[in-house]
Amino acid sequence: MLNLVEITLKSILRDRVFHGIIFSALVFLLIPSVASLSMRQMTELSMNLSLSLLSFILLLLALFLGGTHLWKDIERRYTYSVLTLPISRSSYLVGKFLGIAIFIFAVACLLGLVAAGVVVFSSGIYPPERPIAWDNFVAAVVLDALKYILVVATAFLFSSVGTSFFLPVFGTICIFFVGSASQQVYDYITAPATTDISLFTKKAATVVYYLLPNYSAFDYKVNAVYGVPIAGSGLLLTLAYFAVYALIVVALAALLFEKREMN
Amino acid sequence: MKAIEISGLGKTYKGRKGTRIQALKGLSLDIMQGEVFGFLGPNGAGKSTTIKALMGLIRPTAGDALILGERITSCTARRNVGYLPENPSFYDYLTAEEYLTFVAKSFDVKGNLLEQRVAESLKLMELWEARKRPIRSYSKGMVQRVGLAQVLVHAPEVFILDEPMSGLDPLGRALVKEIILDLKKRGKCVFFSTHITDDVEKVCDRVGVIVSGQLQALDSVENILRSGLEGYCVQIRSGVKRLDVFDGFEVLRTHDPFVEYMVPAARFNEFMALVGHHSAEVMFVETRRKDLEAFFLEIVEKGEA
Repeated sequence: MLNLVEITLKSILRDRVFHGIIFSALVFLLIPSVASLSMRQMTELSMNLSLSLLSFILLLLALFLGGTHLWKDIERRYTYSVLTLPISRSSYLVGKFLGIAIFIFAVACLLGLVAAGVVVFSSGIYPPERPIAWDNFVAAVVLDALKYILVVATAFLFSSVGTSFFLPVFGTICIFFVGSASQQVYDYITAPATTDISLFTKKAATVVYYLLPNYSAFDYKVNAVYGVPIAGSGLLLTLAYFAVYALIVVALAALLFEKREMN
Repeated sequence: MKAIEISGLGKTYKGRKGTRIQALKGLSLDIMQGEVFGFLGPNGAGKSTTIKALMGLIRPTAGDALILGERITSCTARRNVGYLPENPSFYDYLTAEEYLTFVAKSFDVKGNLLEQRVAESLKLMELWEARKRPIRSYSKGMVQRVGLAQVLVHAPEVFILDEPMSGLDPLGRALVKEIILDLKKRGKCVFFSTHITDDVEKVCDRVGVIVSGQLQALDSVENILRSGLEGYCVQIRSGVKRLDVFDGFEVLRTHDPFVEYMVPAARFNEFMALVGHHSAEVMFVETRRKDLEAFFLEIVEKGEA
């Protein structure tokens, strides 16, 4: 499987689309100038913009890599060569997933360092009123990476059955938007003040909330920007949620991929 | 020892509007270790379906198959198999050297042996000079050579090759034939599909002809060629006073002072007795037989009828 992880990493690093996405990271250099427009909250704005840009780049990478990687192997008939090696289809899929997950995590760490540099530079120009919560910043970056690894897992689930890139890419985008909003919707419909919603809608929203990945659980940007303390138990719960959800989705993708015919 | 055992293998595809297409109908076939087996058939006959089922790319809807005693449903069945797909496509962002290393590692070839095997395969397939270039810059023939190199790199016992000569120039084809004959000498099993009967005639021990998903013929190349014997072309010098003694034989060509007769196999001895009796001089005797292509076309016509 390590062999496949290595090949996957090579394929990503040699892809021109990836080079384009990484090139967009140059926008980080503009952040201090934009943040300087806010005189009093330059550090906060820098951190906010840096984390948002980091998140956006990771989203593009997750959609591009997760949604097209497996499909490309099938479309270009690489699978005829690779799946006939003594490698099970599950190992192939998991190897590919791990390769992309490692890459997403590495890019998050790298861009996290760039973002930290931007924040340090901005705070040097206009010192913040309170100390920067670097531990929260690290947690926000790491959890953001995990969120997008989960996006990759979802894309792999769609890729395992899809015959084109439409289902993996657009299906994942839909799930991403719904999964990012499901917590707020759930909180709203279960609030005691909410009375004008039918029972069916409540049940449906609850099912969607539990079934789809809850991406908002990984959003610690506010904690990083304003130094709001992060509860250790909440962090552990999010990590456990990631591990269990990713495992279930990847296992399901592997199961479906095992049954797929390579005509 | 049986290298490949196929018993009652069937594959039915679901078509549109609930129709069913039987691509493979109860194929049974045993291929022995050390044998070179040619799998012939027209387009859409079921050759690639059989090979894809053997390699685990599609699931048969009936029957079963074993490779070196392992069921094809398990990936361990492929541990000792070198497979070349039809019109192969490999990770084109890798160089040939990187791709062969990846394949060898997948077969647990390690360390110095890995480096040695990769270098040997690249040199054998004349890719040594191009080994550091990405595969995307290769010609079709070079990609086919990469395919053959990745088949050889882990030194398997069984070789399953789908149209191995496709896309190769005459030199490449000759090289592949040489490699197949060398594998045979080393006791390996080679199972390959092809449209080209001449390739089969030159390198195969046995041949199977598949038409419309059914195995229509299975025999040794030697038997087929022997059964296709039509007779002999005998040229004699017409010093014989009475050429009419040969009247019962078809004259193929007269080129004074030589006459060529077509002698049916059953009457060869009779003809030679006449030659001896009339003191005619035999210039040459040439065997006339149907080639494998004629045999193949006959089977296909029968199968399609």
